[in-house]
Amino acid sequence: MMKDVDFNRDKDLARDFLSNFADADGEPKYMKILQDVANHKTKAIQIDLEDLFNYKDLDEEFLRRVTENTRRYIGIFADAIDELIPEPTEAFPDDDHDILMTQRSEEGTENMDGADPRQRMPPEIKRFYEVYIRASSKGRPFTIREVKASYIGQLVRISGIVTRCSDVKPLMQVAVYTCEECGFEIYQEVTARVFMPLFECPSKRCKTNNTKGNLILQLRASKFLKFQEAKIQELAEHVPKGHIPRTMTVHCRGELTRKVAPGDVVELSGIFLPIPYTGFRAMRAGLVADTYLEAMSVSHFKKKYEEYELKGDEEEQIARLAEDGDIYNKLAQSLAPEIFGHEDIKKALLLLLVGAPHRKLKDGMKIRGDLHICLMGDPGVAKSQLLKHIINVAPRGVYTTGKGSSGVGLTAAVQKDPVTNEMVLEGGALVLADMGICAIDEFDKMDESDRTSIHEVMEQQTVSIAKAGITTSLNARTAVLAAANPAWGRYDLRRTPAENINLPPALLSRFDILWLILDRADMDSDLEMARHVVYVHQNKESPSLGFTPLEPSVLRAYISAARKLSPSIPRELEEYIASAYSGIRQDEAKSNSPHSYTTVRTLLSILRISAALARLRFSDTVAQSDVDEALRLMQMSKFSLYSEDRQRSGLDAISDIYSILRDEAARTNKMDVSYAHALNWISRKLLDNAEIQLLVVSDCLKWMCSGQGYSEAQLKECLEEYAALNVWQIHPNTFDIRFIDASTRRRLIEEDNISSIHSHDLSEFEDI
Amino acid sequence: MVGLPYDLLANPLGAVRLTFQKAVESGSGPATLEGRDWGAADLFRQFLFDDGGLSQVPILNAASVRSIPPNTLVRFRGMIQDMLGNEFYVGAYKDGGLWRTNKFMDVSQFPMDLSSDKRVWERRLLYCVPVPWLNSWTEPSSEVLLNRCASWTSPQREKRQREDDETIDHMDMEVSDQVFQGSPHTKKMRGGQLSPSSHSDECMVEGTCPSTSMVPGFERNSLPCLVKIYDSTEDDLKLNDIFEFVGVLTFDPEVTPADKEDSDELENSFCQEESAHLPPSKVPRLHCLVHRKLAVHDVVSISPVVEPKPNQVKEVREALLGHLTAALGNDVLAAEFMLLHLLSKVHARVDTLAVGKLSLNLTCFNKENMSVFGNSLNLAVKNLLPITHHIPLSVDYLNTTTLAPRKDYETNRLMSGVLQLAEGSHLTIDETHLQAGTLNTVGVENVRLLKNLLELQKVEYDFKYYKMEMTTDVQLLVLSEGKSNILPADLVVPFRPISVGSPEMVDAEALKAWRWYLASVRSLPHSIEPEMQKVVEDDMVAARQADRTLGSQDFSRWLTMSRLMSASFGETCMSLEHWQMVKELERLRRERHQ
Repeated sequence: MMKDVDFNRDKDLARDFLSNFADADGEPKYMKILQDVANHKTKAIQIDLEDLFNYKDLDEEFLRRVTENTRRYIGIFADAIDELIPEPTEAFPDDDHDILMTQRSEEGTENMDGADPRQRMPPEIKRFYEVYIRASSKGRPFTIREVKASYIGQLVRISGIVTRCSDVKPLMQVAVYTCEECGFEIYQEVTARVFMPLFECPSKRCKTNNTKGNLILQLRASKFLKFQEAKIQELAEHVPKGHIPRTMTVHCRGELTRKVAPGDVVELSGIFLPIPYTGFRAMRAGLVADTYLEAMSVSHFKKKYEEYELKGDEEEQIARLAEDGDIYNKLAQSLAPEIFGHEDIKKALLLLLVGAPHRKLKDGMKIRGDLHICLMGDPGVAKSQLLKHIINVAPRGVYTTGKGSSGVGLTAAVQKDPVTNEMVLEGGALVLADMGICAIDEFDKMDESDRTSIHEVMEQQTVSIAKAGITTSLNARTAVLAAANPAWGRYDLRRTPAENINLPPALLSRFDILWLILDRADMDSDLEMARHVVYVHQNKESPSLGFTPLEPSVLRAYISAARKLSPSIPRELEEYIASAYSGIRQDEAKSNSPHSYTTVRTLLSILRISAALARLRFSDTVAQSDVDEALRLMQMSKFSLYSEDRQRSGLDAISDIYSILRDEAARTNKMDVSYAHALNWISRKLLDNAEIQLLVVSDCLKWMCSGQGYSEAQLKECLEEYAALNVWQIHPNTFDIRFIDASTRRRLIEEDNISSIHSHDLSEFEDI
Repeated sequence: MVGLPYDLLANPLGAVRLTFQKAVESGSGPATLEGRDWGAADLFRQFLFDDGGLSQVPILNAASVRSIPPNTLVRFRGMIQDMLGNEFYVGAYKDGGLWRTNKFMDVSQFPMDLSSDKRVWERRLLYCVPVPWLNSWTEPSSEVLLNRCASWTSPQREKRQREDDETIDHMDMEVSDQVFQGSPHTKKMRGGQLSPSSHSDECMVEGTCPSTSMVPGFERNSLPCLVKIYDSTEDDLKLNDIFEFVGVLTFDPEVTPADKEDSDELENSFCQEESAHLPPSKVPRLHCLVHRKLAVHDVVSISPVVEPKPNQVKEVREALLGHLTAALGNDVLAAEFMLLHLLSKVHARVDTLAVGKLSLNLTCFNKENMSVFGNSLNLAVKNLLPITHHIPLSVDYLNTTTLAPRKDYETNRLMSGVLQLAEGSHLTIDETHLQAGTLNTVGVENVRLLKNLLELQKVEYDFKYYKMEMTTDVQLLVLSEGKSNILPADLVVPFRPISVGSPEMVDAEALKAWRWYLASVRSLPHSIEPEMQKVVEDDMVAARQADRTLGSQDFSRWLTMSRLMSASFGETCMSLEHWQMVKELERLRRERHQ
């Protein structure tokens, strides 16, 4: 099998490569490393196969031989380095090793009494460096199950997660003995895990004298290597359905030890080797071989966008996508393609993934670039699915619920370590999602402690802790994607978002976009749903979407490429944005809807969304179209919250009447209200509102017609509705009102089991 | 093939070797033979399936493992519980001028020269266990097996036993010589050498180490088996599948001193092959020649599946419905739902949805009627379905049991959990014993697992650094007092027994028919005609207009039920009649809720 490979010739090739290779800057890369080694600055010499590939005098056969018989070629390269190693140019303190070596080289001459290989000093013991050959980082690394028997002896690159690590132990590389009789140093190279020590002196002198000199192992003179064993396991995404992840043993030596810890996701290059069995085991096991990976390089897997490296043809693919005029829509559609509709929400979520650049002002103030989005809506409108999908697309994403699963909660907590009794700081989901996206489901059900600190997280993007003697601030530069359920079952359009979600307006205003998803009762969407369900049952697949969604990996690559840009706003647009902002303010001041918060934060949101849109176009400047789209999105989100005006005006009257009656009853401290009084109250309210003193009658009539006044019919409607909720009882003939007190009402609730929507109304009433 | 020069049952390796020799002679080099069959598997397949040899192959189980001689053909039925990865072995090597193979064996038959030309091949290791919670009535009779064993037992065995301990490699060589000659005389000797005395084996079973019995609730004498798979693509053998493996058995119940020495040598390193935790003395090895997947109906009956005739199916359906009604205290509605539930099966997965599952929650059980109907129901299910398990849910149970399988990195093994179930298992969860209490972390996790199982038909396996979702297909029946909130089932049916029926005696023939019915009818194909589709869609829209609380889940359930309804009549196409029956059932069910 072994062809007559001329290793000497290959050594020359290796030497030639090391001394002549020039990197992109024309510097002799390896000679510089060798100089550092000679000066005892580094120990590891990493030879990149890629460099060998790019070498001007590339010998492809040589490259192939290095890849397929790597272990042998490490020795060859080391031999070549021995010949090349320059003299040190800097002084360094001698250590034990150097002193020993000087002694040996002095003795060396007299000791050379024969050609006994055991007595010749092995080159290994002189070397104070380690040689590694690193596989090319081009292409996709193997998964563990792809490494087959045919790869034995070859250099491979593997990705996996570290599951176990042994302690770092010394591994004997060269055993040195001295003979009691002749005093010679005897060397034994150790290549395996286990070795059989020498007992008899093999030197010529002892042999001829037949003294059988006793050998003593010299631990100080022997050469040891740091050695660590690790187990890696396939990553979950590489395991085919219905299979168990495979594992592989990895041996790390020398400088590569202590590089990994359990739980690390790593990419390794190394030599895939069989373990030779020794002793009984070899006999018993007969023909089975264990294998391991001799690590050559270790790199930790990167999960942040900023460090995302484009693979293979992705760059090209992205360039092609960027030219497509409709990329914004295409990308948005590809988010959670199985969720029907919601185009604008998906666009907003896409922008959340892209984000805007962080800004740091001269005075040190930071302005966040991350977009925060809150989705609200009725149960069962796929909010959670949207969240989970976004987390899947994001390279670093944490999905959690407001309640959280551990005691750490969302932000951070100081906890007592059960073993050492020390106080330790443990980061919550928001800290873990630093530089990524944190999706918080059931945002409204957050713990009280988190509720206070989340204000800080969302604007300053840090978590401050001052507990149990620990005062610190943790980074939480994360985009928050929250989903909240309405406070009482279904979203009540009569109320403000703040009331509906049971969150303070101060927190809500920190969201760049609030979106309400409602489950509307219309035939078309019902039919759509029915069709979908039937299709799924009939064809065992989702109906085709009418377009092919982009793969999550492509999406991720595109977004990461977009995130590298930091678009700025051109001066000529400033005026435009300013006028748009003041326009919104004006509109708001004019309108009578009491619940919208257009503040400076809104302006920042517009800027952030525009910047994210510019990033998507791979543009360095924000265009007017970006600002328009940003304004449109914000408008749409506002519509989703407040567009129900027509529907609401009718309903609003009812709850308004109720609140008038309730307030008056509370003021007068009465439980009974006569119908006449009630009518009087609501009409007086109308007069107050209309400021009748200043208005002529016709104006007053206009007010009535425009729907500001409350008619008797509306009062009756209100009475009936709230009577059904056991808020009050109505006299069947006179329509007099009798409020029901809390305890009676509770009993009634139990009897009637009224739905939760009403119980909220009642809790208000309880305050009376 | 007439007049085989070797006995495929007693000396399968002879056949392997001969076919290899033939392949080499016909000009194939060892490189071309790697990773593919050279005719050996075909030969066995023909023998087993075409020539009806399968029934002659003894079944490997705890009872028979001691009496079956090694290196003979055996079959093993089990579920793949763990996958240990690949094993590298010297597949072919040159002995003098001749290529030889080590495929399908643990030890080389000929002494291998260390310097000789070798080819390293690989094989897959699967850790298989008898199917968990398999009901005893499914087990095939083992007459064949007993006959063969009786003829094999020889008085020489005891004496030979002591000679074993001489040297191991000597033995190996001797064995190989004998196998090569393949004469009946030497075969006997070889058997005697490798087999244990029944006495020493007894001790072995007593001292079984905990790592071999991974599945909780396992009888101690059930036997796991390490199956070595050759030349098969990854896709056809999946975790939790039930397979029948036919292959060469190797089993060495002797704990040799070498084993112990080895473990000392590498004591503080974990670089050991996984199988080191499964010593060959406790877990037999099976070198698989032929494997086939078993579906539920294969497990139920050995008899060939007959195409169900419509009228016959209807009769069986009526009888079975009657039986279920009786078990449920004459609650016809509950029995109807029960029947549909027993026929359910995951047909497809679309996104996160498992199409075809129909978990059932029978409510209104209390302590009193639980003891009556709970038991009769359990008995009925146990008698009808091959794989059934019953979980009495309590706070203590939730807090202490490991439901999900978990990877143990110390031993590099997958520790099984209660929810590692074969496809088509039936699980009854009895919630009536649940009292108020506090759940710990394990408990919360377990509740979440059960919920996921009910909603998505998925179980998360815990690999410590990440979790992996494994799809399952388990029929779930929940018995509870009120609607179970921790276990959200597809169907919630209040149970209204009318009378306490005495447990009726069921004759074996009827039982057989019902089992056959449940197993075969549920795998019927199904289709919806366009006209029917229109009706269904319109009905759904109308229903949703009337009741906004209906969602896609309800629609999905209706379709599943109508499919199962059609299937229960042995039909493959949805008819208006069945759709209306389903709607009626739903109406009655909703009425009960009011």
